[in-house]
Amino acid sequence: MIDIRNATKIFKTKNNDIQAVDDVTLHIRQGEIFGVIGYSGAGKSTLIRMLNGLEQPSSGEVVIGADVISTMNRTKLRKKRQKVSMIFQHFNLLWSRTVAENISFPLEIAGVPKKDQKRRVAELIELVGLTGREDNYPSQLSGGQKQRVGIARALSNEPEVLLCDEATSALDPETTDEVLDLLVRIRDEMDLTIVLITHEMHVIRKICDRAAVMEGGRVVETGPVLKLFQNPEHGVTKRFVKDDINDEETALSFEEVREMFPTSKILKLGFVGSQSKAPIVSQVIKKYNLDLNILSGNIKRTNNESYGHLYVAIDINETDLGNLERELAEHDVTVEVEG
Amino acid sequence: MMIGFINAFAEMFSFENVRWDDVLTATYETLYMTVISTVFTFIFGLVLGIILFLSSKSEHAASSPVYGVTAFLVNLFRAIPFIILIILLIPFTKVVMGTIMGSQGALPALIIGASPFYARLVEIGLKEIDKGVIEAAESMGAGTWTIIRKVLLPESLPALISGITVTAIMLVGSTAIAGVIGAGGLGNLAYMVGFTRNQSDVTLVATVVILVIVFIIQIIGDLTAKAVDKR
Repeated sequence: MIDIRNATKIFKTKNNDIQAVDDVTLHIRQGEIFGVIGYSGAGKSTLIRMLNGLEQPSSGEVVIGADVISTMNRTKLRKKRQKVSMIFQHFNLLWSRTVAENISFPLEIAGVPKKDQKRRVAELIELVGLTGREDNYPSQLSGGQKQRVGIARALSNEPEVLLCDEATSALDPETTDEVLDLLVRIRDEMDLTIVLITHEMHVIRKICDRAAVMEGGRVVETGPVLKLFQNPEHGVTKRFVKDDINDEETALSFEEVREMFPTSKILKLGFVGSQSKAPIVSQVIKKYNLDLNILSGNIKRTNNESYGHLYVAIDINETDLGNLERELAEHDVTVEVEG
Repeated sequence: MMIGFINAFAEMFSFENVRWDDVLTATYETLYMTVISTVFTFIFGLVLGIILFLSSKSEHAASSPVYGVTAFLVNLFRAIPFIILIILLIPFTKVVMGTIMGSQGALPALIIGASPFYARLVEIGLKEIDKGVIEAAESMGAGTWTIIRKVLLPESLPALISGITVTAIMLVGSTAIAGVIGAGGLGNLAYMVGFTRNQSDVTLVATVVILVIVFIIQIIGDLTAKAVDKR
């Protein structure tokens, strides 16, 4: 669906050249939600702008469907942009237009007849859940509502590809989740391919199928999201994963725990993969008739699987521990004995 | 000394020299010059301002000479004092208007003097538009003309309106200057009658009428700018 081949972008400034994107090659499949994550200055913004020709690569190629974006003439590119739409971190709505007028803006550009515009706008307002807000101005909406208008506007010409430029970075966590759910829903309903860039790992975790990690203009790691979480190879990926897991206070003082449970062993159970939906731990402790105290835990859901860890204090002898390890391992749960 | 002052004051408010039909004619002439020159200044200033804005932001190599030339002309005409501009433009005015006298003769200088000023205000107004909104329109496949019509103008409308309000008020002042050298209007009345015949009551009336015109322009401008601003 989308092919980026050896794309490079160099910005020439007075003093020096800045290599924003450095020899990036990516393939994005039809219908997938593909994430690009990186810290600011990693080149992800420039990369996503190449996909609709807002930036042209200094060398290399960008292909969407049958069209080579990087060599199209301006007229054809404008036409293509109606099918490769974009939503933005700061929504970029026209304050001078109402919600309905903002959504119909791309339709006006595409020359859709007035009557069809009206019908399409009504459908989209319903789709993004803004019924009753048609005649409000953007200044009367909350951030989440503004982004819904942005999404409706981006969908108005029935695009093949939706580009999300830090689309949730200006939203609070709850609103972020609502917008992410909406993106998944429209992908499923409209068979859309979504490319999103973000610096927030939980966005990748929550909705992406595959992701690329960028640093210094290069893609340092690409893969299915779960693989990135289970087995991050590059330092940057590890940092993102670690930040995401440690975003809640999980620091645990083993000394204190040992004082509280002097006879117990402290185990760290690691969950990687789809099995963690089943009540594995509960089944196993029942089977061996064990008691456990949960000390702390952090389990995260990705798009379709879970990963994370659980610290427990458990009274257990060596034999049972061996059995427990074996049994849990069959369900892809790892066991580490702490201290 | 005190008595002289009181006498002068009394004469000013006597209105015995005021010929009200002359005041009416002069008011009409001032309004005529102000309205026509404001309309044309709006058009020319808008075009120049958009050219300045587009050529300064565009990355195309060809546009920077466009910016250079436009900016130079704008700065040049803005730097010429208005009274000198009128004299300087006499040959041009003769050709274009057929006369250099009366309200007609003042229009070219008024418009050419005010357009560069308004062009700069337009440019400032356009620069205040969120870049992201323009980028969003580009990402939807909008061409330059569509962006001008559907993004730049509506999104900068309050600034365009308050800018033309300031310019129109400045033009009222310019018509008075033009009046002194024969363009008619309230400035002409204040000078030719009020000053040369030493009839200060006429000057006072001309001043009050000009103030009323200025206040009305300001109020209309403020209300309109506020009404279109949905931010």
